[in-house]
This record gives sequence, C-alpha cells and structure tokens, in this order.
Amino acid sequence: MNYLLHVVVLVGLYTCLAASLDLLVGQTGILSLAHAAFYGFGAYTSAILSVRLGVPFVYGVVAGMAVAALLSFVVSLPSLRVHDDYFVLATFAFQMISFNILNNWTALTRGPLGIAGIPVPVIFGWSIRSRFGFVALTALFAVFACVVVARITAGPFGRVLRAIREDEVFAQALGKNTLRFKVVAFAVSAALAASAGSLYAHYITYIDPKSFTVMESILVISMVIIGGAGSRWGPPIGAAVLVTLPEALRFIGLPDPVAANLRQIFYGTLLIIMMMFRPRGLAGRYAFKE
Amino acid sequence: MILPQAVLNGVIEGCTYVQLALSFVLIYRTTRFFHLAHAAAYTVGAYLFYGLVGAWKVPLLLAVPLAIAGAGALGCAMELAVYRPLRNRRASSLVLLLASLGLYVVLQNLVSLFFGDNTRTLREGTVREGMLILGARITGSQVANVCAALSFVVGVWWLLRYTRLGRTVRAVSTDPELAVVRGIPVESAILLVFSVGSALAGASAILMAYDVDLTPTMGFQPFLMGVVAAIIGGIDSIPGALFGGLFLGLALNLATLFLPTQWQDTIAFGVLILFLLFRPQGFLGTSLRRVTV
Amino acid sequence: MEILRCENLRKTFNGSQALTGLSLELPTSGITAIIGPNGAGKTTLLNILTGFIQPDDGRCFFGCREITRLPPHRIVRLGVGRTFQDLRLTLQVSVLENVLVACPNQRGERLLPALLRVGVAADDVRNQAEAIRLLRFVGLEQKGEELAGELSYGQQKLLTLVCCLATGAQILLLDEPVAGIHPEMAARLLDLLRELRDTGKLVVFVEHDIASVRQVADSVIVMDQGNVIAQGPPSEILDRPEIIEAYLA
Repeated sequence: MNYLLHVVVLVGLYTCLAASLDLLVGQTGILSLAHAAFYGFGAYTSAILSVRLGVPFVYGVVAGMAVAALLSFVVSLPSLRVHDDYFVLATFAFQMISFNILNNWTALTRGPLGIAGIPVPVIFGWSIRSRFGFVALTALFAVFACVVVARITAGPFGRVLRAIREDEVFAQALGKNTLRFKVVAFAVSAALAASAGSLYAHYITYIDPKSFTVMESILVISMVIIGGAGSRWGPPIGAAVLVTLPEALRFIGLPDPVAANLRQIFYGTLLIIMMMFRPRGLAGRYAFKE
Repeated sequence: MILPQAVLNGVIEGCTYVQLALSFVLIYRTTRFFHLAHAAAYTVGAYLFYGLVGAWKVPLLLAVPLAIAGAGALGCAMELAVYRPLRNRRASSLVLLLASLGLYVVLQNLVSLFFGDNTRTLREGTVREGMLILGARITGSQVANVCAALSFVVGVWWLLRYTRLGRTVRAVSTDPELAVVRGIPVESAILLVFSVGSALAGASAILMAYDVDLTPTMGFQPFLMGVVAAIIGGIDSIPGALFGGLFLGLALNLATLFLPTQWQDTIAFGVLILFLLFRPQGFLGTSLRRVTV
Repeated sequence: MEILRCENLRKTFNGSQALTGLSLELPTSGITAIIGPNGAGKTTLLNILTGFIQPDDGRCFFGCREITRLPPHRIVRLGVGRTFQDLRLTLQVSVLENVLVACPNQRGERLLPALLRVGVAADDVRNQAEAIRLLRFVGLEQKGEELAGELSYGQQKLLTLVCCLATGAQILLLDEPVAGIHPEMAARLLDLLRELRDTGKLVVFVEHDIASVRQVADSVIVMDQGNVIAQGPPSEILDRPEIIEAYLA
C-alpha cells in the first residue's frame, strides 16, 4: 500500500511538471529543454531555505517559484526574439549550466553530496508525515498547476498563445506583443516546475543534482507528448503512463541499472513512435502540424 | 597558467569545437532542424573505438576507420529509420527535434546497457609532458587534433565545392523546395550529410579518446559546445565553424586565467547569450529571418 | 487622419535591390491602389511600413512620429493594420476566436487578470458583440463557430479583413486582397472596401488586376524596380503609355 501511494505521489508530481510544460509546448508551440533546471531550482531553494535558515515550507515554495521565474528571464528575453531553434538551444545550454552550477557551487549546494535532512512540510501547524498526507498535498499542487494552466489557456491570453503557436507573424499583425506573451508563459511554466521541485525536496528529504539533468527534462517532454499536447488531460495521462508502466518493469525482477536503462529506452522509443504515428499523443489536441 | 599556454590550449580545445561545429553545421544547413541525437554519434564513435582497441585489441590502423565508419553508419541509420519517414509525413522541424530527443535517449541508454555506466578510459596512466613550442607545451595527440580539425574543414569545403554530390548538398541547403522542383536528389544529399557529419563527430570523439574518460553521457557537453561555436561562427557557414570553434576555445581558455575552470560551461552560455542578443547570425552567417513575411 | 509617409527607403535582399530610394506620402482618405510588375517592391514596402522588415536606409513616419524601427505590434496600435499576400490565420481554431484575438486592450491578456478572472468576462462580452458585428459586415456571421481552416479560400480572405478591422485600425494596408478568389466574391470585397472608405478609413491595397483598380481606387501609386514612378488619380495614370509598358515589360 505504501508503495502504491508513493507511485500516486510521483504521478501527482509529474502531472505538475507536465502540465506546466504543456503551457509552453502544447499551447504556445515552443519547446524547452530546461524544465528540469527550474524543477531543480525550486527544490534547492526550498531545501536551502528550510535546512539552513529554518524557513517554513510555504515560504520556501513561494521563494522557489520566484527564483525560477526570475531566472527564466535570463533565457527567454535574449532567445525568444530570435529563432525557435535558437530558443531550444538556449534552454539546452541553460539546462547544462544549471546542472553545472548545482554540482559545482559546493558552498551553496554541497555539490554532488546533495542536501539531506530536509524537514517535513509544516502547513499552518500541521506536519505532513504520512503517505496519505503527501498524497493530499501532491494532489493540491497538481490541481493548482492544472488550474493555473487552464485559466491561462481558456481566456484571451491562451487565445493569443494559440495564435502564436500557429503563426506568430499573424499574431504580431494583430497588434500583439508576442515576445511578452512568450516570456510570461515561460516564467509561469518555470515557476510551476519549481513548485513541484519544492514538493519533491520535502517528500524525499534528500536532493542531489543528479535528479535534475537534461534527461529529466526529456522525460517530462515525453510525458507531454505521449499524453497529448495542448489538452487538459494530456499531461496527467502522460504522467500516469510514464510513471506507472516502467514501475511495472520492477516486478519482472531485472537488476536495477538495467531496469533504469530499459525505462528510458521505453519512453524514448515511445516518443519516436508517437511522432511517427500519432503526434497528438493519446489525448492531445495539437498535432504539431507545419 | 601563463598566457602562451592558455592561447595554445585555446587553439587545441578550439579545434575540437571546430570539428563538432563543422559536423553539426553540415547537417543543420541541409536539414534545418536541431538534430540533438548528433551527440550520440560522438558517444558511439568513442565507445566503438574503445571496444575495438580496448576489448578486442584491434590494431589502431584498423580500429580508427572502423569506428569512424560505425559512427557514420549510425547517422545513416537515424536518417533512414526515423527522419526520412517523418519527412515523408511532412513533419515540422519541431516534430523532428522531438524525434531526435527520443533517438538520443534510446542510443545513450543502449550504450549504457552494453558498456555499463562506469567510466571507461584508454589513458595509459603516465601524463606525457609534450613538446615545447613558443613557450608552451603540446602533446602528440593534441597536434593530431589540430591537424584533424584543419583537414576536416578543408575536406568538407572541397567536398561541397568541387564534387557533384557536394554541389547537390549546397543546392539543397540553399533552397530545398527549389531543389525538389529541379529534380535534384534531395534524399541522397541528406543521407550524405548525415553519414559524413556523424562520421566526423565520431572522429572527433576518437581524437579525444586518449585524453578524456568515456561515459554514456559524454556526448552532450562537446555537442553543446559545438553548437555554440557554430552559432558564433554563423550557423549556416562552413568557414564560420572554423572561426567560431577557435573563438570559443580561446575565449574559454583565456577566461581560465581569471576564473576557475569549473565555470567553463557558464562562460560558454554567457557567450551564447551575448551573441543571441547582439549578433544572432554569428560572425559569418547570413542574416537570420524567422519566417519570410 | 495622420499622414503615413516614408523617405528614401532602400532595401537589398541577397544582392538584389528591392527598394531603391523610395519616398512616398500616402493620401489621408479614400482608396489607394499600389500597382506594379512583379518584383517592383510592393510587398517589401508594405513590410517596412508595418515594421516586419527594417530598411537598410531611409525612414518612415506616421504623422510627426518616426516609426522606422517600431516593432509590428506597436505600429498596429497606432492604427495601421495589414493583411498578407499568403493568407495568415489560425486555421485550427474557430472563425470567432480568430477575430477575438484581434480585439485590442483585453484585460485577460495580462497575467494577473487572466488568473484571477478580473474583468475578463465583461471584456469578452463586449468583444464578442463587436466580433459578430464585423462578421456580419462581411457576411460571415453564420460561420462563427466553424474552424477557420474549413472556410473556402474567399471566405478566409474575408476573415483576414475582419481580423484587420477588429484591431481598430484606421489605415488598412491590404496585400492583394482579391487575388485568387472568384469574381463574385471579389466584387463583394471591393464593395466592402468602398463602404470602409465611406466610414472614414483609409484603404491602401496592393493589386495586380487593373480592372479592380479602375473600379474602386480614388488614387493610384505605380511602382517599378524599387521606386515610385507615378502617383495620381486612376484616370490620369492608367492610360499613360509608359505605365502600360512598365507592366508589359
């Protein structure tokens, strides 16, 4: 039962990550390889604040989101002006150096040793210690992320994003400052990823840079794609599929490293297959047509 | 670290970036999408070489061309199995990029499965000191690296300018739609750049194989540096790759005179952002147009 | 109505000169046609005036305000709207949604109001009404819920005109608005242009079809090889031998 609840928590966490990435990929049509970096910034901000300074959980989450949003401007402002390919590259580079910083700035992050002893979250005097508690908390975070994305998507803001997705020149000719929209969407997506990071940090109580590499970014991208980009059910479905199916591999009794490789091969292959045969994914609305 | 050594290191390191920028530019110019799985050609080239020399004890003279051919073959396989079918379905460049992510993940993990995640090395153990030139030291393999970079650039330039296939590639790079209309064998051109480009990436890896450790994730960092160098030089310019690679190598190594080496990636990123802000077409590239209006 | 004008525009693409020192002052009312053979630089001129391309040399003004380096969205906000030669729309969403995107000053386009849903509904009601009014103006009000991609080519062209109008533009720069649509629809569109002129808008359209120009234009600007070679009322301009020659050459 504990194990099952753990899987549910993971699904909730990744729903948060996938929904926030879908705002970029599915709604705006821009790809970011830096999602794991913002996930990591949220985790590390929360961890450092709570372990070193005793900052309560909620403030740590907000701080993490603010840090991520601010750092997102470093990538988005120079690169979103130029060319979509360049933006992907810039996010890739940003992801690589974020890992570099987390791994090398040992004074702040303790580098590869990671940060341990992250306290359990305390919200309004309630400590969340049990699995059930975390399931509830994760559900809250996941729902929050989905609602934020849905609110943005359903209204005028989302209309402009979809216009940008299909034809940015058209959106500009209608008087929209497309750069502003893309930068804001990117910042929101980064902030939500960071909130998932904070949750992760307080759940596992230990974090190290290895959880926040570009491979993690690609995993979240796969969830968005496989679940289906541009729809509100795509991200949760993608998260559920890519978390639970590989977990089933454990029960076949493969040695751990081999299982880890096979999991990644699984979603890598699925990604390729989806692109070939069903670009709009399982439940998506956006098929990345030219 | 004194200035002449830093400059020389910059040139040497730059030459690796030149090779990677060159192979990436060759592919990008012709296909116009961000083929991230190129990093896998680098990794696979290194591991093939390691397997041939280290495990099977194949003589160097045979191992090098075999490993390079292997990397080239991998490039062909990626094009034939994934990219070509996708292009036939009129996939957008975003779709191709996503497929290349999937490819990379699969390939990196296959390397992991076969060779394990542990660091492998071909280094002998003793650090050779290198010859003294103009106040700085350079080893034999570093000289080979520089020579290789120059010959790759000259080779590719000659290939594109003076051979029939090369001219085909240039036609496709300049205007793919017009090339199709004119009956130019676009698919062959693309296959060629994938094989040559991936082979070059593999060769770069082999040149570094005695100086770096092999891990399944080894491809990312050099690939990223190669792409940054390509942007600095101008992402659709072959001579730009030479320029950009050397520039990046020098910039990073001169920076180590003032900053600790672990911040190299950050400096490279900083350089990239500066170029994106002020000169996105790089030194020698043609002016970027997002879309034609 | 402020005057839209440019001074000495030059632009070269890959070695070929698109504009060669073009200076022009657009009229402040009526329907103006810009004509000229292929390669005369008409679309380039439009792109520079609307901020999508920067000239190599020369400047553009709207009234006394220089607009040469302004990004496209700022120029639209000054009241200068445009359409494109290649139809540009969001085909995967409904006709109504296309028009709604064009409506200016929507509170819901700012993040905080979008998240808190403050004032968004009121804006939407107002904009929806305006969108339907504009769709009715061109006869597309029944098609509101259909996907833009499912309209006929002529209807899509009408839709781009509606979107341009929805931005509130007073000056409409239309790039070949009747090209590729059948004569009945074209005639209807030209009627619409007359109506728009009568409501005080300035209509400028790039066109190849001389017959349409004769029918509807109050003044004509002729371009050739990157510069203006004549400007005046159609009766004067269109019968000049050198103009006819420029077209047939």
